[in-house]
Amino acid sequence: MTREHQQFRDDCLAILRRETEGKRVHRRRFLQALAMLGAIPASLRLTPAHAQTGEIVVVNWGGDAVPAYDAIWAQPFNAANPGGKALINGSGPSSGKIKAMVESGAVTWDVCDRTVPASIELGRQNLLEKVDWSIVSQDKVRAAHRSDWGVGAYLYSFVLTYDTKALKGPAPTNWIDFWNVKDFPGKRTLRNNIEGMLEAALLADGVSRDKIYPIDVDRALAKIKEIKPHTIFWTTGAESQQLFRNQEVVMGNLWHTRSMLLAKEVGDNIRFTFEDGILFPGAWIVPKGNPAKAGAWKFIASAQDPKSQVELFKRVGNGPVNPAAAAMVPPEMKALDCGSPENFARQVAVDNEWYAQHYATILARYMDAIAS
Amino acid sequence: MSTAAATSTGGSERLYWLMLLAPCVFLAVFYLVPVLNVLVLSFTVPKPGLANYAELASNGAVQRVLWTTLRIGAITTVLALGIGYVVAYALLQCGPRERQILLGIVVASFWISALIRAFAWVALLQSKGLVNSILISTGMIDTPLSLVRNELGVIIGMTHYMLPYAILPLYTSLRGIDDRLVPAARALGATPGQAFRWVFLPLSLPGLIGAGVIVMIFSLGFYITPAILGGGRTIMVAEFISVQISETLRWGLAAMLATVLLAAVLLLVMWLSRFMDVEQALRK
Repeated sequence: MTREHQQFRDDCLAILRRETEGKRVHRRRFLQALAMLGAIPASLRLTPAHAQTGEIVVVNWGGDAVPAYDAIWAQPFNAANPGGKALINGSGPSSGKIKAMVESGAVTWDVCDRTVPASIELGRQNLLEKVDWSIVSQDKVRAAHRSDWGVGAYLYSFVLTYDTKALKGPAPTNWIDFWNVKDFPGKRTLRNNIEGMLEAALLADGVSRDKIYPIDVDRALAKIKEIKPHTIFWTTGAESQQLFRNQEVVMGNLWHTRSMLLAKEVGDNIRFTFEDGILFPGAWIVPKGNPAKAGAWKFIASAQDPKSQVELFKRVGNGPVNPAAAAMVPPEMKALDCGSPENFARQVAVDNEWYAQHYATILARYMDAIAS
Repeated sequence: MSTAAATSTGGSERLYWLMLLAPCVFLAVFYLVPVLNVLVLSFTVPKPGLANYAELASNGAVQRVLWTTLRIGAITTVLALGIGYVVAYALLQCGPRERQILLGIVVASFWISALIRAFAWVALLQSKGLVNSILISTGMIDTPLSLVRNELGVIIGMTHYMLPYAILPLYTSLRGIDDRLVPAARALGATPGQAFRWVFLPLSLPGLIGAGVIVMIFSLGFYITPAILGGGRTIMVAEFISVQISETLRWGLAAMLATVLLAAVLLLVMWLSRFMDVEQALRK
């Protein structure tokens, strides 16, 4: 998921965690830090020796996803490929870090956990390797969930989440209710990023699900400004959870994975609906000049296994992206699968191309709109 | 014998130079080079020229972020100086035991990270937090006050963070004022207020300006505190730069803003050096 804002704090936490566990700092991370600082002149560039070790560094956004990816994808991959060594690293593969690595020629990551729109955006800037479809299977992922540079990894959705106890009255059913502060009083939370937020604003303004893209940005921002005085903007997934836990907000537009965690943690007064959710495909991408070369695609191909995707769904809630996985989801959990045919029909599927083209410019306008 | 002593002094002098050289080289490689890199980026990315600096005049969003940063920095500075002055004055007047305790409290706050303090403020100031609960239960207010997740929250958090940086230089500066001058003014017929206004305050002015510049310099670069306490609606320049670097990949714009920030800080330091001996202040 594109949780770029998150990388700084996640980084600190990841570092702290590593230190408290008494593990040494990994050499590749150190090199990467140096590369980020621009501190390695070309003549001094060290050639990392991981090509021989068969290490494949898979980078995600930290937290519960690190042990989950390790148990579900890295360990089975390592067992099936003698000499292969997939490592999960939670330091957050933001666009800025990928660009810094690729441009300084010190790439230490092989596989990054991002989204299909980001894969197109970065791929066009020549920062990514093209997908090797001779290793990765096109049949295991829908056309909308892949690009020339990205392979769908899982699905996630931005969903209307609310606290029935704090609201007291009737439950909100759609974004029109979310924008209605008279009948549903209380603070709301939206993300300080455009993904899933502009779509919700348009839905609240009466645009139908099939007419969202191309997004009418002026209209969406006007709607955001309307709700702004009642809104706290979250940056990290953990923050969105905390706002509900502290009862600072009565409803919000959250990642459905966080909403599921909240319902588990706080109790069944926290509810969410996939109705009018905005569905995003998470995607694997490979930075240009990655050290493990084709090893990265082998790992990605192994993660296409529908059984493993269902395991991830059970553990952290990310929806399986392989169409074959839907049948393997246990019946009692089907309602929570954001990619199931029933839920898919109730949501807005993101337009990858729109985001690839407009993300940077519209994000700047959104931030300005919420800050001014 | 004497030659041996001379060589040994020469040797130890060389050792001192080496000890001095090591941090200089370290700073040059790990600090100056990247900073220069940033400066160069601001003129070369995406196209060579001054286009990034032209955004200062043409880009409303950039102007608003800079204005927010300046405004919050200035308010924080005024508040930190006001409260800091009172505390520093109290430190001066109280007994040695109380002074030790007070100084201990001031210094102890250095040990708590910005992140933890920010979350602590959220816990205290949020709508269901301690402050609002007490105010509501005592009947002073009906609806909770919006004390956090807005600009007010950012200013409270930043002022709290900056207080030791205001108190300690102010205290050293006030301690340097001859403590016979105020009694002398009183003996000549000044009221306590007059003695403070005409004698003590003017003498403490260099310390006040020095502490103010230090607080202002720090305040301009705040990142975590506004990000958490601002509720996403208070965007200061550090957060803006971070978004341009890691998300929108507009490195030229980010480098330009970083350069502007650095230049502003350097100008402030130069201005500061006109009012006080910076080296002297740091040695204290």
